[in-house]
Amino acid sequence: MFEDRLIEIEKLAQAAGLKPFDTYFEVIPLDIMHEIAAYGLPTRAQHWSYGKVYNHHKIHGEMGLSKIYEIVLNNDPCYAFLLDTNDEIENLLVGAHVLAHSDFFRNNVYFDGTNRNMVNEAVDHARRIDEYIERYGLERVEHLMDMGFALDRHLDSHKGLNRKRYPERQVVEKEVVRGAYADLFGEDGLSLGTAVIGEKLPPHAEKDVLWFLANYAPVEEWEKDVLEIIREEAYYFYPQFETKVLNEGWASFWHAELLNRYVDLSPKETIEFARLHAGVVTPGSPMQLNPYYLGYKILVDIKERWDASYAAGEAKLDGWGKLFEVRATENDISFLSNYLTPELAGELKLLTYGYADEEDADEEDIEIKSREYDEIIRQLLAPRYNYGAPKIVITEVERGELHLRHEKGSLGDLDQRYAEKTLGYLYELWKAPIYLETTQDDKRVKFFFGPNGLRVEAGIGLPALSVASMAA
Amino acid sequence: MRLAVSNLEIPWDLRRRGLKDSIRHDKRVREAIKQNLRELIGEETIITSDGQKMIKIPVRYLDQYRFIFDRATNGRGVGQGPGNPGDVIAKEGDGAGGGPGGNQPGQEIYEAEMSLDDLTRMMVEDLALPWLEEKAKDQIKTTTVRYEDIRKKGPLVNLDWRRSLRENIKRQAAKGETKVGKITDDDLRFRVPEIHEEYQSNCAVYLLMDRSGSMTTEKKYITKSFFFWMVRFLQLKYRTVETIFIAHDTEAAIVPEKDFFTLSNSGGTRCSSAYQVALDHITKHHPRTRWNNYVFHFSDGDNFADDNPRCIRLIKELLDVSTMVGYGEVNYDEFFRGKSTYTPFRDPPWSTLYRQLGTLHHPRFIPVTIERREQVYEALREFLKVREN
Repeated sequence: MFEDRLIEIEKLAQAAGLKPFDTYFEVIPLDIMHEIAAYGLPTRAQHWSYGKVYNHHKIHGEMGLSKIYEIVLNNDPCYAFLLDTNDEIENLLVGAHVLAHSDFFRNNVYFDGTNRNMVNEAVDHARRIDEYIERYGLERVEHLMDMGFALDRHLDSHKGLNRKRYPERQVVEKEVVRGAYADLFGEDGLSLGTAVIGEKLPPHAEKDVLWFLANYAPVEEWEKDVLEIIREEAYYFYPQFETKVLNEGWASFWHAELLNRYVDLSPKETIEFARLHAGVVTPGSPMQLNPYYLGYKILVDIKERWDASYAAGEAKLDGWGKLFEVRATENDISFLSNYLTPELAGELKLLTYGYADEEDADEEDIEIKSREYDEIIRQLLAPRYNYGAPKIVITEVERGELHLRHEKGSLGDLDQRYAEKTLGYLYELWKAPIYLETTQDDKRVKFFFGPNGLRVEAGIGLPALSVASMAA
Repeated sequence: MRLAVSNLEIPWDLRRRGLKDSIRHDKRVREAIKQNLRELIGEETIITSDGQKMIKIPVRYLDQYRFIFDRATNGRGVGQGPGNPGDVIAKEGDGAGGGPGGNQPGQEIYEAEMSLDDLTRMMVEDLALPWLEEKAKDQIKTTTVRYEDIRKKGPLVNLDWRRSLRENIKRQAAKGETKVGKITDDDLRFRVPEIHEEYQSNCAVYLLMDRSGSMTTEKKYITKSFFFWMVRFLQLKYRTVETIFIAHDTEAAIVPEKDFFTLSNSGGTRCSSAYQVALDHITKHHPRTRWNNYVFHFSDGDNFADDNPRCIRLIKELLDVSTMVGYGEVNYDEFFRGKSTYTPFRDPPWSTLYRQLGTLHHPRFIPVTIERREQVYEALREFLKVREN
């Protein structure tokens, strides 16, 4: 019996130190798998964009380009979905993989703040949205959701989901530090001064754009609720985004480990298991890394290195101990920068690529740019912040107009067509002009979005370059 | 810890949430197609399709806008494999797209299937032949049969299989059976034909095309795509309309429709020749008292100068016997391209013929100019927009 065998594997997992949630497996048809994969949560509210992803999965699945083996939901109890067309051995491997994911959800620090009742919560979200659709019409609600989804990557994972509004304007007494070395010059070290809180809106550059809009934009109560729903679901998925490589590596490491320890496989199943495992942890291509493979390889490397140094008396933790520590404390950014060594990057033949001529918008050729370790790490980490989206912060509300800044760092410019549409959404929500400071070709520019659509203005302190007017 | 494999027989097939939202996405794609008609109207694959079949329109999945990086940044990423810096790993046409965003559905293309009629309907739904009058005599009665009602009794030829089967399944389901059972008389459903009668005005449309040597491939393409959509529009909206195709260089002749669209070109241009042929045909077959006549002429205006006065005279005569005369000038000149914007009655570079025609100022003479493929749609709308009598 599949269930009995899975329970055996779960016992092996417990014995090895994994602590997954109670886990419920549901064996489902392929089409439903595509559907759940599209929604992320099977109970989520309707929106056409899920239909688009569903369509995409379906076409890819039917063409045999990709196959979705499992879906696990970060929830207590944990829910997992397996394919009814899979062999038993396939589903045993996937089951072991799922248990490791479940363990990761439960024990990785970045998942601490996630809502473990999201499956039920999403049902409630869907119900509320259905109600709004009934009351305000599909077009209106859908359009509002379009606007919400356009901004739902701009979260502040450090501030978290639950936040209070900024304090109202008030004058408070506050300790003021005069200067780090003031005491050396005979001045008083610390003294009391007055500070004004809440004078500026927002008081500091605000990264959580949806939160700001839901709380400070002139939106109706139900609109605020829809934005909050979208924001809450975006926060829920963020830890899964920021731990993708480690999480998949962890699950791949453990499905191999657990099935190796499981003695009750027939010879045929053992061969099949080896074939399946090789298929999962297969190297990526020159333009696409396989996160399962990368994460798995790094974890195997950690195990070997710490086992060796522990044996030599150089490390406090042995390989197993180290692995569980990594599982508990790292996300992809720290995992990759701490444990992807130059040697391993070389062994894996990692490379960075890009358009051969990046200035030329018609360039189609993509070439290998570098094999330098630092460059690889930089490129590897760049898309792992902020849902891979550009960092946009709200800097100021001035005379009712909303000012934003694109904090570019070493990354590229914004795509203007997409920025135009997104600024249009912001304009619609904020109901007053929007400014966005950014750069274009190393020149500072300001995007202005008002009643006549987008205008690109030359940056502060620079002469006007060109005024491109594009009506919305 | 507890682990369980569910044996609940959840009727998954009944959910169809993905399907529902995917239909919604399709619907929005269609709306987007509608907004981009002016680009589609020039699509060669559509013009060259044989007219009856379903056509496939390549559409992108609908974009979801958000702040994203520019192309160069999206094109960067980390991969693995052999090779040295500088080696090209993907070329044009690989469909590589590139970068971490490369596998996003937003950049992928799938094909929306649509019948040409549907597409035409989208294009022309608010268009009509202007100033169409009911001519008292010779009204033509057209009858069409439509199936609009369903009844339980009827002749077997009108049996609606699908509905009958559904009734059977419903009846079986009520008994708890999940298969098709014996079909009884009670299951049968019949479609009921209803005869609709419509009265239509007598209407003839003359399509005149310049096939002279100066009509370059692109000009000819624009002209032909205009006529293609014109014919589609007429077929769709006016079942009884008569179309007369006239091709000309220095001489003109009435040609069959299939030849009209495949004619090769050569020779000089004498537009008056075509006007004369149209005029003769109208006076002989389609007198104004009984017919609504429409004349549409497309040329690049590269007319023999001494022919212009004759053209003006003939156009005036044509206006006396027809409801409307439309003149479209295709000016696909590399030199002027991009310098002038599409507006009727703008200054040069339009031809001397165009300028002289412009002095006509007759309310039912409509001149338009076209420089690019995308403007075919605007020309069509300019000619066929609903006008006050």
